Amino acid sequence: MISRGMVSLFLLLALQTQAFAHGGVVEEDDICVIKVNYLRAHFKIYQPRTSGHEQFCEDLPAAGESVFVMEFMHDALQTMPIDFRIIRDVTGKGRFARMEDIEAIDDLDAATVFYQSATLEPDVYSVVHTFENEGDFIGIVSATNADSGEVYAAVFPFEVGFTGWGYWPLFIGILVLIQIQYLAMSGRLKRWFAKSSPAAMLLAAMLLPMSQPSHANEFIVTYTTPDGPPEINRMHSWILYVESDSGDPIEGADIEVDGGMPAHNHGLPTQPRVTEDLGDGYYRLDGVRFHMSGDWEMFVTIRSDESEETVVIPITL
Amino acid sequence: MNTRAPIIVIVIAVLAVASAAWWWSENRPPAAWSEDEVAVLESLWLESLPDLPPDPTNAVADNPTAIEFGQQLFFDTRFSVNGGISCATCHQPERHFTDGLPKGVAIGMSKRNTPSIVGTAYSPWQYWDGRRDSQWSQALSPLEDPDEHASNRLMTIAIVVEDKKYWRMYKSLFGEAAGVDTMYSNIGKAIAAFERTIMPTTSRFDEYVAAVAAEDRERQAALFSDDEVRGLRLFIGEANCTQCHNGPLLTNNEFHNTGLINFPGEVPDKGRIVGVREVLEHPFNCEGPHNDAARKECGELAFARTGADLIGAFRTPSLRNLENTAPYGHKGQLATLADVLAHYNAAPDAMIGHNEAKPLDLNDRELMQIEAFLRSLAAPATFEQDKT
Repeated sequence: MISRGMVSLFLLLALQTQAFAHGGVVEEDDICVIKVNYLRAHFKIYQPRTSGHEQFCEDLPAAGESVFVMEFMHDALQTMPIDFRIIRDVTGKGRFARMEDIEAIDDLDAATVFYQSATLEPDVYSVVHTFENEGDFIGIVSATNADSGEVYAAVFPFEVGFTGWGYWPLFIGILVLIQIQYLAMSGRLKRWFAKSSPAAMLLAAMLLPMSQPSHANEFIVTYTTPDGPPEINRMHSWILYVESDSGDPIEGADIEVDGGMPAHNHGLPTQPRVTEDLGDGYYRLDGVRFHMSGDWEMFVTIRSDESEETVVIPITL
Repeated sequence: MNTRAPIIVIVIAVLAVASAAWWWSENRPPAAWSEDEVAVLESLWLESLPDLPPDPTNAVADNPTAIEFGQQLFFDTRFSVNGGISCATCHQPERHFTDGLPKGVAIGMSKRNTPSIVGTAYSPWQYWDGRRDSQWSQALSPLEDPDEHASNRLMTIAIVVEDKKYWRMYKSLFGEAAGVDTMYSNIGKAIAAFERTIMPTTSRFDEYVAAVAAEDRERQAALFSDDEVRGLRLFIGEANCTQCHNGPLLTNNEFHNTGLINFPGEVPDKGRIVGVREVLEHPFNCEGPHNDAARKECGELAFARTGADLIGAFRTPSLRNLENTAPYGHKGQLATLADVLAHYNAAPDAMIGHNEAKPLDLNDRELMQIEAFLRSLAAPATFEQDKT
């Protein structure tokens, strides 16, 4: 229990500080994943000349030779031509830069510092680029579906020469998290959530780090699990946050949730339901239970105004 | 004061006993070899090397004329675009048939570290990634590589045909002129006949194993220092070296990912996963039209393993005569033996694929002892010229 708590603590820290996470600590529970639409790959960056075998996830400590590696988790990526572009951040959006911002750039080539044209890679994808200067950059990975011609893209803003804000945020973060962990483990947090008001749930959603975003065309869904990280055979609750592709919260939507294990061709053991609209795009989802470890998918179907769409959230237990 | 004096005496006495015990444990003579250990030592002994297996893909593999012809071809610099590069440019006999560089330099810079030829007649696979399955098909590849000899098949054949001595030897072995690929592969088979004779010789380690086998303690002590004995015991034990570096050539000739770092400016080398695809399709492979073997003799090719665990995997090199084969690794990433041992001791995560090695947690002294043992494997290579 303690080691699980510690791992999740480190995971939370890694998410919160956007640290050069992904060192030895989270080896097993690898959080550095790149998602190209629904296709996922382990993502890691090396600066072998200055940092040896140390792995980075997004931000890099210094300029210089950097090797980007993607190890595919979906076989489909082996059959899709992939191209890789790195641009200086000319969008002015920093961390919040998205595909539309890239598409709005007039002269993409002028901003490009590295481009690897589309290639098929059956084994493991890697590129090497030497950053001349420190600064803010955006990486864009595109994969083309050979059948439909559809282009899937992943956009990841990152900083080269990232120095962070010193140890203060980390220190305070640890104190807060230790307290939350304590409350969670003592069961008090759970009891509190069980009877808590929408305002308390909202507060929890803001305090707890949200998951990586899952995209469909119009909606983006992130979630957090207020009563501890999901574990098998335990009924628990989620807080969903639904936003539009442009980043506006979707309020008052009609949401249905289903799920299953694609590898085993079976569904969830329960029928989870959204029990409360918490406002500001947050929804409380109760009755979630997983009964096997492995790769699961949650299908969140959102009906809002005239549009209806299903967002797929991958989760590994 | 009176009560304190004895305490100090006791503390000093305990410290003295403890340090004496430590000194003794570090410096006492190493234990005698157990029966199991002797069996492992004998398996690494050059005396245990079986007779050279026949090469069914090469009908002239053991033909004396082919060996002599091949030896002359091996050292002939005319087989290159500028007339300055021979096989021996990178495979230098005095350096155990390597070149002392991270990556070979000929017409351009080669893609990998120059591997030794010594004992490769025993290997089912050639090159770091095993992209060829015979010595003769390997020998033909550098001739056409734009960074190595940068020559081509027609130029190579023309030199043989126009040189009276070469043409006489060629005809006696293979007959009259034939198709380009047939003649070109015949030239490779002559080079391979010579390369088959390149073998390691008896090292101090082998003499030591002979002394162990004879249970001659005195001769063992004369041949190996305590550090070397301890290093050898680590090598066959705790350090797991013999998982891959086994047999009398200290290699299993198989492919392993050991998590070496990329060469500056290059993406990580994918190694065997690419090499195995190439050898399966190559026209000069064991199942191709230019080899002399029956299809049923191509067991290695027919049962070659593919799959994701070959990502970033490279062929285990022999450890005989490491003195002359530095730098080490498929791109010469590790300059010294100490660097190699430090790498295995740490066993970092691989940049691509998965490092098969696990951290060893050995201390500096133990690493030094393994290095001392490895140096006892030094012995020059022998080849046909020496024998005649």
